[in-house]
Amino acid sequence: MLDSKSRRAKPAVDRKTRRRVLRGLGAAGAGAVVGAASRWSFAQGKAPINLSFWTFDNPQQRPWLAKRIKLYTDQNPNVKVDFQWFPFGDLGKKLSVGFATGTAPEGFVSQDWFMPVWLDKGLIAPMDVSRLGYSSMAAFTSDFAPAFVNGATKDGKAYGYPLWFYGYLNYLNTKDFKQVGLDPVKDAPKTWEQLGEVAKRLTVKDGGKFTRQGFKFAMHAPAWTMIQFNPILIGAGGSWFDASGKCTVNNAAGVKAMTVRASIARQYGAEDPADTIATPPLPQLDWFKERASMFFCHPIPPTLIQAQNPNMASVPYYSEVQYPGFQPGKGFSSTYGFNLVISAQASKDKQEVLHDMYRFVMSDPVDCWKDTAPFTMARKSGWVDNPAVKAFPHMEEFIIARDEGVFLPRTLVYNELADAMHRAVQKIMLNRADIKASLDEAAAEVDRATAAYKKG
Amino acid sequence: MNGVAAPARAKAGAAGLRRGSRGFGARYRIQLWGVGFILPTVLFFAVFKYGPMLWALELSFTSYDMVSAPHFVGLDNYRSLVADPIFRETLLNTLVYIGGSTVLITLVGLGLALAVSTRVPGARHCMTAMFLTNLMPIIAVCLVWRFLLHPHGLMTQLLHPFGVDRIDWLTKSTTAMPAIILVTVWRFAPYFMVVFLAGLLAIPDEYYEAARIDGATALQRFRYVTLPMLAPILFFVVVVAALLCARIFLMPYIITGGGPGNATRVLSMLIYETGFSYLKMGRAAAISAVLFAIMMVFTFLQMRIYMRREEAYLR
Amino acid sequence: MSGAKARLDSGSMLRRWLGAAALAALAFAFVLPILWMATTSFQAGEKMFQLTTEWIPAVWHPENYPNALSRAAFPRYFLNSGIVSIAVMGCNLVFCTLAGYGLAKFRFPGDRFALLLILSTLMLPLEVTLVPTFLVIHKFEWLNTYQGIAGPLLIDAFGVFLMRQSMLAVSTEYLEAARIDGAGELRILWQIVLPQCKPALAVLAVFSFRDSWDQFLWPLTVVSVDRFRTYPLGLALFGDDYGNPPTEQMAIAVLATIPMFLLFAVLQRAVQRGFGLSGLK
Repeated sequence: MLDSKSRRAKPAVDRKTRRRVLRGLGAAGAGAVVGAASRWSFAQGKAPINLSFWTFDNPQQRPWLAKRIKLYTDQNPNVKVDFQWFPFGDLGKKLSVGFATGTAPEGFVSQDWFMPVWLDKGLIAPMDVSRLGYSSMAAFTSDFAPAFVNGATKDGKAYGYPLWFYGYLNYLNTKDFKQVGLDPVKDAPKTWEQLGEVAKRLTVKDGGKFTRQGFKFAMHAPAWTMIQFNPILIGAGGSWFDASGKCTVNNAAGVKAMTVRASIARQYGAEDPADTIATPPLPQLDWFKERASMFFCHPIPPTLIQAQNPNMASVPYYSEVQYPGFQPGKGFSSTYGFNLVISAQASKDKQEVLHDMYRFVMSDPVDCWKDTAPFTMARKSGWVDNPAVKAFPHMEEFIIARDEGVFLPRTLVYNELADAMHRAVQKIMLNRADIKASLDEAAAEVDRATAAYKKG
Repeated sequence: MNGVAAPARAKAGAAGLRRGSRGFGARYRIQLWGVGFILPTVLFFAVFKYGPMLWALELSFTSYDMVSAPHFVGLDNYRSLVADPIFRETLLNTLVYIGGSTVLITLVGLGLALAVSTRVPGARHCMTAMFLTNLMPIIAVCLVWRFLLHPHGLMTQLLHPFGVDRIDWLTKSTTAMPAIILVTVWRFAPYFMVVFLAGLLAIPDEYYEAARIDGATALQRFRYVTLPMLAPILFFVVVVAALLCARIFLMPYIITGGGPGNATRVLSMLIYETGFSYLKMGRAAAISAVLFAIMMVFTFLQMRIYMRREEAYLR
Repeated sequence: MSGAKARLDSGSMLRRWLGAAALAALAFAFVLPILWMATTSFQAGEKMFQLTTEWIPAVWHPENYPNALSRAAFPRYFLNSGIVSIAVMGCNLVFCTLAGYGLAKFRFPGDRFALLLILSTLMLPLEVTLVPTFLVIHKFEWLNTYQGIAGPLLIDAFGVFLMRQSMLAVSTEYLEAARIDGAGELRILWQIVLPQCKPALAVLAVFSFRDSWDQFLWPLTVVSVDRFRTYPLGLALFGDDYGNPPTEQMAIAVLATIPMFLLFAVLQRAVQRGFGLSGLK
């Protein structure tokens, strides 16, 4: 499919020829020769191209993208890329403001839940899949699970090139399990009740202070609130919106889901939501530092665990299991992902260069895995069968989490929805507010936001 | 002031006349200089203050997401704000915050100033030390206090001897706003301590002596000598503190993020979120107008005192 | 208060020293958070999670400082903040002085109105005019530039009043005499008026620098490119990145506090006079 190596061999010969010819010819002749040479290289002639590219910050993913892009610009010296990154929760907002002010980057990584907004406002450009290296649109869509690619296509055209898609997993501290007499494999919770029970046994308290929380929900940012509540809501048979666009998070299923969410703290006494918010900015730090035994998280790179808790990494005494469900074995998490996209405000030649750049960036999926494991890529081909990939511990769990998760709601008012849910969860967990009442307020907020968006 | 200047100016005018017909020319020239001195500032404010405010008022009657052109919606933004429980709560939070912080800043500032003014040994150093807290970068203040206000953080630890095990300062809606007010007072009171102190030091000792001779107690001296002499400064402090608090953004943003729920969200945060997170610039402008109205009340108060002092001074 | 001098017996001596002790305790309590910040910046990251306060670190970790600086482009962030704040301070010193002088010592048609106009900008802080000011800066194409970050802060009405207040106290006789002698207006300002306003200038310098050094919301709005970030933005993002110990965040906070304290130390006498505290021994 992607055959960069054979193409790279040619220009060396042409360079020598080119130099001899250039010395003899004038500018017009030189221009003709250069035009011919460019057929062999990825660069679009010698015209300098300046691009900006934005992504979210992550200690593994961001450097890998920077590395691949730098490799590309090394090989195509006329292309300069201004590489910028932003905190995960900020990227969408910065992009919105960028589009609004005409300062948006030409290329960027889009979180998949923002795709509807970009598409609705016509802010991203359709992509030519043949330039990305696919022989046809059918070949493109078959390289990804439908769920991933559906969010990136519209009217038969592709608007995004899915890069990473992954699901959350339940990370367990196996040492803690054994300490309280549980088996980390057999006793890994498969239902929400089991999660509560197991968490309760894992909890260690010192008076009113939680020395160790059995389980912890992340509560520090709206993005995490959404990701963590989404699968519970869907699993309980609920939905975010009904067919008419009204927010239904406050119906019976929604209340049931939120009750489950609150039960770990309220019913089982295994979580301390106030502590969760107040301390380390990053909630998984509590899990790293063994102040929590279980935690829902995106795939965590072993290097990160090594850096935070070398003991836990070296033994190792942690493992990943699937989310619990409402029925045993029917647990699934949120799956979300990132697409490489191109701004519709970029000029034609920059769009072309971006196609080539993306093709190059994605041309070595195994390299991606090496740098960013265990963040799973969305594509099916080119990496899953690689022995290095297969040898990764618990690899099948990551694949299952990716393939069987549910998506975050794709709505035009995602920011408002996330903020409303975040407020509701805080009220419920921190102020022991009534669940139905809080969800009613959240749903009303979302409906107001939807109405305001529609009015334009 | 003018009385003193008048004969001098008359002399100058006469001198100008003596030098030729440049008397009126000289005065005109001086006037021009005056205008010239203030012109850059006035222009600056026209571009960066008045222009934007008028634009904001105009925007508040439109719906504008910045991607497409603004379109006129009349009073819709304001109507929807009134109907929005989040906005109403935020407005209430802001008023509570301004009220609570201003009162406490004034009381604590005055108290600290009184304590320092007793001129006990080391008072000056104590004052300088406390004043330093006013110079600490606000972001550092917020980050430090967020840790101090952890359920098991330093503030709770200090209350251990009183049998308190844990206080969820930032995560219970009953204590969240008081916690933010606490941080605000900590940050701003020392500045006003210095303002009050200057006022206290300016009160002539003779007044206190006279009161003492008349048999007044310390409390009575405070009430009948100190307070009346401090009245203008008191008013100034209240108004300036209120203006400062109305604008606050960083404290709730960093320390509680507006939570729990909506308990500590203030108008400046709502403006930022509505404009830059939801891209509803028209609506954000309407909220700005509300905040502007609140500040206008306090500013007019301040202008009245200032102008009245001017009259008294110039008379 | 001065009456105390006449009655120095052991009782009131005791009371004075008790009072001093109480005041010192109060000041110490007030300053506690700064001390906490300083000691925490030398602690190991783990200590933050133990939620007990160890006032004197058992083990000192000065490497927190270079580590923290390397987490993000902090040297660059501090440089940006420095450039902007110096520009803001300089601009304020110049233009607030000019405007204050014009309003204090000159009578011209519309001077009352100008005073009111400038006074009323107090109700138009950046937080109120955020959206349109952003749009204005965007129109100037000043997003992600130093001019954009410093622009709206370059002149502050408080500074104008401060200088005006200070200059009102300068005797007009001198000015008139100098004018008669043929001195130019700028020379009068520079040689006669300003030397008498040094305390006010010091206060203006310290506070205009501080207000710019503190700025968060405005740079947050106007900067989306890493190389123009100011240190408060860097500090706020510090928490978001993975695994950065909070103790290193405190190290950056300490570094950010030092320039303010230094500036104050240099101008301390003048600032105290500026506040009218010369009476305090």
